[in-house]
Amino acid sequence: MKTISKVLKKDHLKSLLRKLAKDRQLVAPVRNSYGDTLFTEIEALDGVEIDLDNQAQSSLKSFLFPQQQVLFEYSTDQGSAPVYKAIDSDGPTVFFGLRSCDLAAILYMDVIFLKEVKDPYYRQKRENNILISIGCNEPFSNCFCRQTKSGPFMEYGFDLQLTDLGDRFFVETGRAQGEEIIQQWAHFFSPASKEDEKAQYQMRLEAQGNFKRQVLVDLAIRKLKDDLVPEEVWSKLSSRCQDCGGCAYICPTCTCFTINDRKISTDSGERIRTWDACTFAGFTTMAGGHNPVDMKQNRMKRRFMHKLYYDVKSHNRTSCVGCGRCVDMCFGGVDIIKFINMVGQGEI
Amino acid sequence: MTNSINEIEHSQVILVSGSNTVKTHPQVARRIFDAVDSGASLIVIDPRRSPLARHADVHLSIRSGSDIPLLNGMMRVILDENLADDAFVEMRTENYHALRDMLYRLDMDEIVALTGVSLDKISRAAKLYARAQNSVVCYCLGITQHICGTDNVQAIANLAMLTGNVEKENTGVDPLRGQNNVQGACDMGALPGVFPGYQSVADPEVRHRFERAWQVSLPKTAGLTVTEMTHAASDNPIKGMFVMGENPMLSDPALGLVRESFANLEFLAVADIFLSETAAVADVVFPAATFAEKEGTFTNTERRVQLVRQAIAPVGESRSDLDIITALSEKLGYPMPYASAAEVMEEIALLTPIYAGIFYDRLAPWGLQWPCFDREHGGTPFLHKYNFARGKGRFVPTSHKPPSEPTDAEYPFVLITGRSYHQYHTGTMSRKTPVFNRECPEGLLEIHPLDAKTYNIRAREMVRLSSRRGSIKVKVTLTKTVNPGSLFTTFHFAEAAVNELTVAARDPQAKCPELKVCAAKIEKLET
Amino acid sequence: MNNIYLPNSAIIKEVIDENEQIKTFVTVFRDEMFNRSFTYEPGQFMMVSIPGLGEAPISISSTPTRPGALHLSVRKAGSLTNAMHQLQAGDYLGLRGPYGRPFPLDIMGKDLLFVAGGIGLAPLCSVINYCLDQSGSHGKKIILYGSRRPSDIAFQSDITAWQKHSNVTCLLTVDQEEPGWSGSVGLVTSLLHNIDLNCDKSAALVCGPPVMIPPVLQQLKKNGFTDENIWTTMERYMKCGVGMCGHCHMEGEMVCVDGPVFNKAELNSLKLET
Repeated sequence: MKTISKVLKKDHLKSLLRKLAKDRQLVAPVRNSYGDTLFTEIEALDGVEIDLDNQAQSSLKSFLFPQQQVLFEYSTDQGSAPVYKAIDSDGPTVFFGLRSCDLAAILYMDVIFLKEVKDPYYRQKRENNILISIGCNEPFSNCFCRQTKSGPFMEYGFDLQLTDLGDRFFVETGRAQGEEIIQQWAHFFSPASKEDEKAQYQMRLEAQGNFKRQVLVDLAIRKLKDDLVPEEVWSKLSSRCQDCGGCAYICPTCTCFTINDRKISTDSGERIRTWDACTFAGFTTMAGGHNPVDMKQNRMKRRFMHKLYYDVKSHNRTSCVGCGRCVDMCFGGVDIIKFINMVGQGEI
Repeated sequence: MTNSINEIEHSQVILVSGSNTVKTHPQVARRIFDAVDSGASLIVIDPRRSPLARHADVHLSIRSGSDIPLLNGMMRVILDENLADDAFVEMRTENYHALRDMLYRLDMDEIVALTGVSLDKISRAAKLYARAQNSVVCYCLGITQHICGTDNVQAIANLAMLTGNVEKENTGVDPLRGQNNVQGACDMGALPGVFPGYQSVADPEVRHRFERAWQVSLPKTAGLTVTEMTHAASDNPIKGMFVMGENPMLSDPALGLVRESFANLEFLAVADIFLSETAAVADVVFPAATFAEKEGTFTNTERRVQLVRQAIAPVGESRSDLDIITALSEKLGYPMPYASAAEVMEEIALLTPIYAGIFYDRLAPWGLQWPCFDREHGGTPFLHKYNFARGKGRFVPTSHKPPSEPTDAEYPFVLITGRSYHQYHTGTMSRKTPVFNRECPEGLLEIHPLDAKTYNIRAREMVRLSSRRGSIKVKVTLTKTVNPGSLFTTFHFAEAAVNELTVAARDPQAKCPELKVCAAKIEKLET
Repeated sequence: MNNIYLPNSAIIKEVIDENEQIKTFVTVFRDEMFNRSFTYEPGQFMMVSIPGLGEAPISISSTPTRPGALHLSVRKAGSLTNAMHQLQAGDYLGLRGPYGRPFPLDIMGKDLLFVAGGIGLAPLCSVINYCLDQSGSHGKKIILYGSRRPSDIAFQSDITAWQKHSNVTCLLTVDQEEPGWSGSVGLVTSLLHNIDLNCDKSAALVCGPPVMIPPVLQQLKKNGFTDENIWTTMERYMKCGVGMCGHCHMEGEMVCVDGPVFNKAELNSLKLET
């Protein structure tokens, strides 16, 4: 299938988003008054600054897989069976301004939550949403998506993918909904000229060379596969890890969760799903205290192995999407870039 | 802290004393790790082999309560090796002779005996610290929570001045303040003898300034410290108490005394976000708003005054602390009609020289570090530049003061108390969070495997831990983190409240309780 | 849409005190239609919950060949299982499942050796009774069961039935003797020394506490069992049961969907020291 290429003038972006947001929620990276850029649910488009110059500090994970999700409410009347009432989630959403890494992360979450058995909450949030991504002409300071093969531009997964060409966006369509948008709102778009196509091609080419960090992902994968990572690497990294779980919380593809009950009254409450982190000791500790993954060293190893080896084995790609967010998050300075480069350079 | 947190990253030698930095100040620990990665040397003084101690070039595993002999010993080595900064001592300090005379009288063998640390290690640490261009000392409650806490701090100051390791960037003496706003509370005069900005109540000029602003007459003498109030027991001169956001019924030492003191009150009001052990015995409880439900500022350990932005309206009947205080004050016949927290800050700026330039409109995004003397002042990243606040730095020789309760045949163990990473203080908040409870569900008593063997105690066995004041049941973990003869546990858990055991003894100047050492024994429980 | 997280209410018909630590709950789904259509395979587990206290994976000890009631044997370990031990007939449990890969059906016709310790007999009970109920299954069955003390021996009624069965040899052993015990004393491995089975035509199913597994597997190897013919079930902390929550992740496999039943060859490839 040949994708249709169009051009959208930057002046008309907000107008288009306003149309798309009429019967959907709109989520886009917004720079708030504190100077933070965050994916934000936009109530009114006027007066917000959609920020495409900075990387959003967190990914879209929390919109599709909330940090806390009430799975259902229960009530127990003395003597009769408990009643369980599932919680509905919200309607269709248009996600604008996600980067290739964010998109790749969503595609990964699909693999986890939408396999044979489907997670009803994720599915409800994922269905009917529109993904309008933007390629990165100028990758951000900790980015290495090129090495994880999840950017700076994507080939699929989006409805529309934009490329910034100065005063206009080059627009590619991916999923069917993208073409529907282009047809429904045809007057916003003009056909891409030969020059536009050339400019876009040039941008993509240059972007490849604009990464500020060299992160040897393939080499690390190979060494993990061949079991060539010395134990000292793991022990050094784990001695720095401060057990905060921040890497997993900020990671757009860390989908592990725990489930707990919260009592609201003596005879009612909720069962809640919360993000969890495999670096916590309690993640694998069984009732009674036995822990099959008892050393921090092993927990850390498992996390990096999962990102860079197990997922390559089972899905043929890393689940690290190279967004670099964990780099600024880690208190201990033992983020995935540090690990990959330690392995790559044989530094211990 | 005399420095900013970021400066630690650029220090050549970092001496950490009495701080489990990795667990209690992770952001500071991160800078220490970064410094070590770029070649800095790390000296750790701690009776326990803390996570940070495992990264140390020199770990001085002292007997709890022997900081002064150790620091004096280091200073003696510095004199013997001619490593003192003579120019600095000459120009910027006073009373050096007293220190020097004391140091020359020291018996190094006695120091080795008191501290349990070899002369070689003391000497290595001293040389590392003194030889570097910029060395920094970070200390925490392991220094201050002793009966000689003030002297411990003085000894650190002596060491820093002797080597000229103050008043420059990346060089200084850094007490790591706890919680989000301990520094701010002290800055605002939540101490018995000072008004905001450490201005003494005894100074008539200062007092008159505050009296004019508040239109009341103010006391000339210092009030009582917390533990003086909570340990007064039946002699308690205090009849009524208003406790805000603190849980002394679990966090203060010698809980038996604390209970008695509270029982003797005629009236107790508590403002807290949850019904803590203390709130549970109050006559009136004010539901307080959390950080996310109010505006204001927090001042962190590097003296940085930072804005707190309200994210949601107070839930239920809860109200912000400011709201509670002003409403209460109005009922008591003294209306305080502040329209906002920003208006309170304007009054602080007016009355407090070190905060004189701090206004809400200047605090976004990163806040300001006091002292900040006027609107044009950019704040102060490190203190004592060119000059000490008091003029010249004064050496005060200090000498060893044994812990208030030595070990003996009946109570042979030194019990040290501290914190864990996944619980916060008395757990009023963190113990309501499932993941924290999963990670750290109960207090564990750290004991050296050799001691465990002597007592025939296995890992995860419940034992009885007692001191002369009380006893608790607690689960044991075997670890070489503690030395033989030492025990360690955390104070987060009401069901194994180690403060039933701790001593009431206090430092005579700061009145800081000796939480870091008491004599204890363990007994195997019959199953 | 089918919501995998919503439990089905089941009523406890009977509570069997197996020993001080273990109780078996005989449960029936409240929804009669659901109860009739519900089926499972030996080796699978259920996510069992009490509202307000949470959920845990519990292996099924009954066999689908005896439909109508689902048996769940629970050992007291944490707060949830302690609370379950307070429940009585007439109380409710929340159940979802069945989950997990069961024991492979093609081994059911073979000669089978079962080695269990403590609560580990629960999932094997399901297989044993399944085999005995299959009319076509004439293979020899040897059951070796170790307990701490004679009074700890669980599943007494099943054991009595097995001991009467012509195709079955059921041997018990205890770690500590008690007055009146005339059976064997020692580890369950000691029973393995003189079993009479053609290892090429049989399979071994092992389940028990972590300390029991390695010596048993070693002895089975000496007895001549190949890794492909030794089966065990893994116990892990789990939250979802459907391969999403990540807690039971083990070297790229999810115990809840890729297991809990594994043969030793599979465990070897997961680099697990067993």
